Formats: sequence, structure tokens, C-alpha cells
Amino acid sequence: MNKTVSIIITLGLVVGIGIIFVGDSKKDNTNTGSTQSVEIKDGIQYIRINAGGGYSPQTTTAKAGIPTKLIMKTNSTYDCSASLAIHSIGYQKILPQTGETEIDIGIPKAGEPLQGVCGMGMYSFQVEFN
Amino acid sequence: MKTYTFHVSGTHCASCKILIEDILKEQDFIKKSKVDLNKETVEIEVDSNQSAEELATILTNKVKGSGYTLSLEKQSQEKENDGVVWKAIPIGLTFLIIFFLLQKSGILNLSIGGKTTPVTSFIIGLIASVSSCLAIVGGLVLSLSAKISQDDVSDTKTFLLFHTGRLVSFALLGGILGLIGSAIGVSFTFSAILGLVASLIMLMLGLNLVGIFAKNKITLPAGIFNFFRKIEHKTLTPLLIGFGTFFLPCGFTQSMQVAAVSSGSFLSGFLIMFAFALGTLPMLAFLSFGSASFAHGKHAPLFFKSAGVVVIGLAIFSLLAGLVGLGIINPLFNI
Repeated sequence: MNKTVSIIITLGLVVGIGIIFVGDSKKDNTNTGSTQSVEIKDGIQYIRINAGGGYSPQTTTAKAGIPTKLIMKTNSTYDCSASLAIHSIGYQKILPQTGETEIDIGIPKAGEPLQGVCGMGMYSFQVEFN
Repeated sequence: MKTYTFHVSGTHCASCKILIEDILKEQDFIKKSKVDLNKETVEIEVDSNQSAEELATILTNKVKGSGYTLSLEKQSQEKENDGVVWKAIPIGLTFLIIFFLLQKSGILNLSIGGKTTPVTSFIIGLIASVSSCLAIVGGLVLSLSAKISQDDVSDTKTFLLFHTGRLVSFALLGGILGLIGSAIGVSFTFSAILGLVASLIMLMLGLNLVGIFAKNKITLPAGIFNFFRKIEHKTLTPLLIGFGTFFLPCGFTQSMQVAAVSSGSFLSGFLIMFAFALGTLPMLAFLSFGSASFAHGKHAPLFFKSAGVVVIGLAIFSLLAGLVGLGIINPLFNI
């Protein structure tokens, strides 16, 4: 009797955890227009990403085939997002608490997204090139 | 010469057999002792006139320090455990949900502007102690504390040593970072690997607290349990674990290490890291001393199992996050 109730509650809680983890990751973080965060100046593409309590925008779409730089913007960032790792280019750095950090990512190829994660792995962002 | 058979509880590992037999053989009146791990019994041949009850009490006193008890009746824990587990799982999951909701809510992403001073680093410490760093540092503290209390070792002393070790090493290492002015040992890969090890230990302790090992009789490698038995009795080990938390992956800790590096002097680095560790102290002290007080209370079995569920959840979270951080697997979540 008691056990059945507990099992039902447990299942409910498991679903709850599932929602927390998988749900609403697209809520306000995806930059669909990708106009504000991507800018091409003097033949170089700049992609701006804010770091602080996670990365935003979480997904950015940019052009492939032109020299590209990431600009990581921090503003009093002390949490995990300050320790940035981009494994595909072997980049690992603890960003300054406040400021902008430029990362040269070369000339990206189409269909090879760039992925950045924080040192502990709970935050990530992705840049898609096409 | 008489032969008695006692039930023995607390045998986690293959080497427990040898340990118990060795302790028993040291007693003059015991001629022979044989532990059967499958049946959880010990058979002894004694040369004494004491009754079985008296012997059980005397011998329990001898092996209690290592976490075993001898009794005439088989302790019927299995049935009770079953009921408690079903209460503990929802309780543990509720705590996990609260914790992850707190992370998701963004309440903790407070901006503290300006230069890093001891005051700001104290506040950052307070935030860090309830942030996702709690998953790994707090999870480790909770699992070790509960395990130590469960094994009934002098827990207060151990916890005091742990927290002292943590405060002192944070302060000293912070000072050294400020003095040298460059990041020593703040390597991502190193701390990520340390984090993975910590989450595996947590997972194991968590399973153990829930009682999965005890039930299904999975015997862990003897070495690991001997290691835990040993660390519980040493003065140095809690100090060292406190020291080790400096290198555990935690974004806040790493940021503070960078702040200490750029502070430029021993004293300022010392103060920044000390204040940060002090800020994390209330939560961690609550976890360790809270465990102890629950462990000696009426609801101890429920507490151990609920703590086990929480620890398993945090361990899985940190394990997956650690693998993501190392670039081994793709991100599964954004918390």
C-alpha cells in the first residue's frame, strides 16, 4: 500500500527531473535571427557570446568559409561559464571576471559546428556554420 | 572446548573475513575462527565458560572498531530496509529537484561587480556553496560524512579536521598563488579527472548508503573498502581531503584562484581564498554535522538511504558533466 504510493510519487519526481534537464533549453536562449551576435567587419566574422550563468545565445548560426573570431563577453562572471573549453581547437582558459576575450577559430567549414563547454561541463554553447 | 556460531553484520568485502578472523584469533580463549561470508556467520571454537550471549558482547566490542557486530540472532534488517528505501527515494529525489530547480532558476547568477576583495569573495563563497559546485564538493562531503557517521567513528573530530584542512589549505594555496602570480595546478584536465574520481567515489558511497551492495552481495574490491576503513581512523586523511577540495572542478573556485593569482601579493591572495572558503563553510558544515546528528537520531536508516539517493543523483550529474567538460561526450543538458 505504502510502497505503491511511494512508487507513484517516485515516478512523478523522475519525470520532474527529466523536465528540468531536457525541457525548455530553447526558451529564450536560442538566437534565431542570429543578427545581433554575428557581425562581419573588414572580412572577419565576429561572433559574440555572453558568458555568465551559462552561455547565451546557446546556439548561433554563422557563415562558413571566412576567418572567424569568437568574442566571449564576461561581466562579473565567477561561475563555471568563466572557465571555457573549446575542445575542437584545443582551447582552455579561465576568462577574466569582466571583459571581452577574443578567440581566433580560423576559417570554419560548413557543417562542422563549434562547441564550447564550461570546465565542469554543465553549460555549453554551439555555433553552426553553413 | 565448545563451538559457537554467531551472525556477523557489516561484512562488505572479501577481506573482511581475514580481518575478523585475525581480530578473533588475537583473543587467548579462541582456538579457531572461521567466517562464512555468504551466510554471514562466524564459527568459533572457544576454551571458556562464558555463555554465548556474553561471548557475543565481548567479541562485538573487539570488532566494533572495524564496523562489525556479532549477534546470536540474525539481524532482520532486510524487511525494514525495503520499506525505508521506498520512503527514501522520493525524499532524495525531492531534494535533487529543489537543487536543480535552484540552479535552473538563475537566482544564483548574481553579479558582483568591481574588484575582488575578501568581502566579495566571502559572498561568492556563500553562492558557490549552493551552486552547481555543491554537486561535487557537497556531494562528496555528504557521502563521506554519512559513511563515517554510519561506521560510528569519532565523527566530530574527523569533520573538524576536514574543515580545518579546507580553510587552511585554501588560504595558504591562495597566498602562494598571489605570491607566484601564475596559475599553478589550475589545469582543467587535472581538475576534471579529479572530479571524475570524486564522482565515482560518491557513486560507490551512495550505492552503499542506500544499501544496494549490502543487499545484492556485490563484494567490492577489498582494497577500496580497506582504504575507507583506514582513512576513517587517520588524523591526516580528513586534512588531506580538505586540501584536495581546492583542486576539485568548481567554476567559482577556479575564478577565485585566478583572482588570487592576479591579486599580486601573498597576503591578498591568502585573504581572498580564505574568505571564499569561509563563505562555503556554513553549507558544508551543515552537511557534515547535520549528517552526524541525523545519523545518531531515530531516523538514521531513513537518513542514510535518502542521503544515498541524493548522493547517487549528484554523482551521476557530476560524472556526466565531467565527461562533457573533458570533451569525451556531447553536452546532454544545460543547467
